[in-house]
Amino acid sequence: MQQKRILIKDTDLKKDRTRDFYTAFLTEIQDKKLEEKVQLVRVSDIGIYGKGLTVRVLPENFLYCDVETGDISRIVSESVVEGRPIEALLHKPDDKQLRLVLRNCGLVDPESIDDYIKHDGYQAIATILEKMTPEKVIEEMKISELRGRGGAGFPTWLKWKLTRAVEADQKYVICNGDEGDPGAYMDRSVLEGDPHSVIEGMMIAAYVIGATKGFFYIRAEYPLAIERVNRAVTQAHEYGLLGENILGSSFKLDIEIRLGAGAFVCGEETALISSVEGKRGYPRPRPPYPSVKGLWGKPTVINNVETLANIPLIMLKGGKWFSSIGTEKSKGSKVFALTGKVKNSGLIEVPMGTTLKEIVFEIGGGGIAGKKVKAVQTGGPSGGVIPEDFINAPVGYESLQKLGSIMGSGGMIVMNEDDCMVDIAKFYLRFCVDESCGKCAPCRIGGTQLLHLLEKISEGKGEIEDLDRLRRISRAMQKAALCGLGQTAPNPVLSTLRYFEDEYKAHIVEKKCPAGRCAGLFHFSIIEEKCKRCGLCFRNCPVQAVSGNRDQGYLIFEEKCINCGRCFEVCKFEAVSRG
Amino acid sequence: MKKLTKDDLQAIKQEELKKETANWIKVGLSTCGIAAGAQDIYDFLVEEVKKRNLGVSIQRCGCAGMCYAEPLIEVKVEGMPKVFYGKVNKETAMKIVEKHIGGKILVNDHIYDIRSSQ
Repeated sequence: MQQKRILIKDTDLKKDRTRDFYTAFLTEIQDKKLEEKVQLVRVSDIGIYGKGLTVRVLPENFLYCDVETGDISRIVSESVVEGRPIEALLHKPDDKQLRLVLRNCGLVDPESIDDYIKHDGYQAIATILEKMTPEKVIEEMKISELRGRGGAGFPTWLKWKLTRAVEADQKYVICNGDEGDPGAYMDRSVLEGDPHSVIEGMMIAAYVIGATKGFFYIRAEYPLAIERVNRAVTQAHEYGLLGENILGSSFKLDIEIRLGAGAFVCGEETALISSVEGKRGYPRPRPPYPSVKGLWGKPTVINNVETLANIPLIMLKGGKWFSSIGTEKSKGSKVFALTGKVKNSGLIEVPMGTTLKEIVFEIGGGGIAGKKVKAVQTGGPSGGVIPEDFINAPVGYESLQKLGSIMGSGGMIVMNEDDCMVDIAKFYLRFCVDESCGKCAPCRIGGTQLLHLLEKISEGKGEIEDLDRLRRISRAMQKAALCGLGQTAPNPVLSTLRYFEDEYKAHIVEKKCPAGRCAGLFHFSIIEEKCKRCGLCFRNCPVQAVSGNRDQGYLIFEEKCINCGRCFEVCKFEAVSRG
Repeated sequence: MKKLTKDDLQAIKQEELKKETANWIKVGLSTCGIAAGAQDIYDFLVEEVKKRNLGVSIQRCGCAGMCYAEPLIEVKVEGMPKVFYGKVNKETAMKIVEKHIGGKILVNDHIYDIRSSQ
């Protein structure tokens, strides 16, 4: 018998049960005198959640779910000794993830161009330069139906075609790496993990539109991404993959890096152009679009990092292959930064059309601390919340827009009962007010007024008329703001109002914050009957608002209390009340 | 350096494929990994492998996506499944060197994924 390995994982995270099961399994192996041939391993994650005890037998790779102690002897005799699967217990996992953009992240050495070449790097541009006209490339991109991954979802082929059609002595291609949504870091990971694929995507875009100069625009908060892109560009120059006569053709391209100085609005393409030009990052009205008048007045294509990283793969595998993945209107895959109140936060990539439920529960492992997932926020400050009722919604540009949110660049924040929706709206609004460039009145004044109203509500001073005011100002901003930042800034307000009006009303009418987040609307007190006088709250209070001693018991002084909730969290006897 | 042609690209690819070793460890060194201490683990592994003359190449790579389990390392040695170990500190890294590489047995409680069964 060859060496076998048995992996064990309790997907319900019950520690005692795991220990007993492990011991029982070990005993069985010892009884059958198989210690030499079999290794029993406890693993930390098996990619399956809520399916009881799971057992995986290697090398056959049989996966059994909901296993009970009574099944052990059968598994050992049939699967381990004889190498046969037990059909009744067998579980066939379907991998929800599809790594296209992230194909090389975690695989190639991001600091070695040779390693990228080893994984078919620069093959796409080589093939294109050898035998494809720009029109042919546009045709292929049209078949692929790739849409911009920065959030707006504009067809990439059309952007390229429009820019190509404009006559000019100089054209530019820009990679937008100014990722600013709170909780989103998809682009950072691609730039850090696979910078050459983005360069190759830029080369293809430049070849198609006829640009000879390219810029990376990366936010200065990403020092490692900048360092790796810098190194990658230098390496490509050394190999002659950038510069004149690339790969023996007449195509030439130089790439430089520009750093963003931390302004969120610079992710908007017209503001980004100003910033690259060395001016203040102000947006300007469109049209004219950058495809006609962009950087220094010349036709310019601006593509997001993730869009560009998709392109070499599409050219290698064909547009038809790409369009076979995803939904009718949203093709391919999308990277999401899954964060918030979810067990496994991280970077995931799924085919379009995967449901939020599959993402949160099957990939993310569900909510933390056994608490119910209340909503999923997508699209950052330009997006909205999608309540749990709609968690079966598939991801895609239109499907999420219908629900009042957007897919956006890929931030996905899971929220549970501890999150107050007024507080969430306030958080995003404050972000947009801070980041508003101040050029147009709807955004500058409207944002501030919205924030004031939300603050008023969260302090318990709201009136029921405020809800209408919120809606009215929001609509005005959507219609009249100059750029995407202002037009979408009210989205978090509108979507929380749409699905969680009850919570707003609780703040206004009952003067209560159901989630216990809005500091003005609840206070802490100690329930004497439940208090065991252990003193944990006393020791943990950061502002000495708890007074008393172990003989006489404890009291919370409201005047000193800052409502941080520390006493509430540390109390083991539920003797601290919040209300 | 001279400019590459399409044939040179192929040559580099073949050259790189030839250099591939049977035994390697990849350490995720993106911001998420480094923030969790992956650089120390990388240095530690390089040092240990050299000291013990294990013939395992230590490589760096980007983020594999499981940010909750950083520092994350992928280990492939002959005759063993290809394994992702997560939440690796120096102590675990030592166990991986001694048990996984030296003793050809898997290390308990740190496996986050297995990508090949042998």
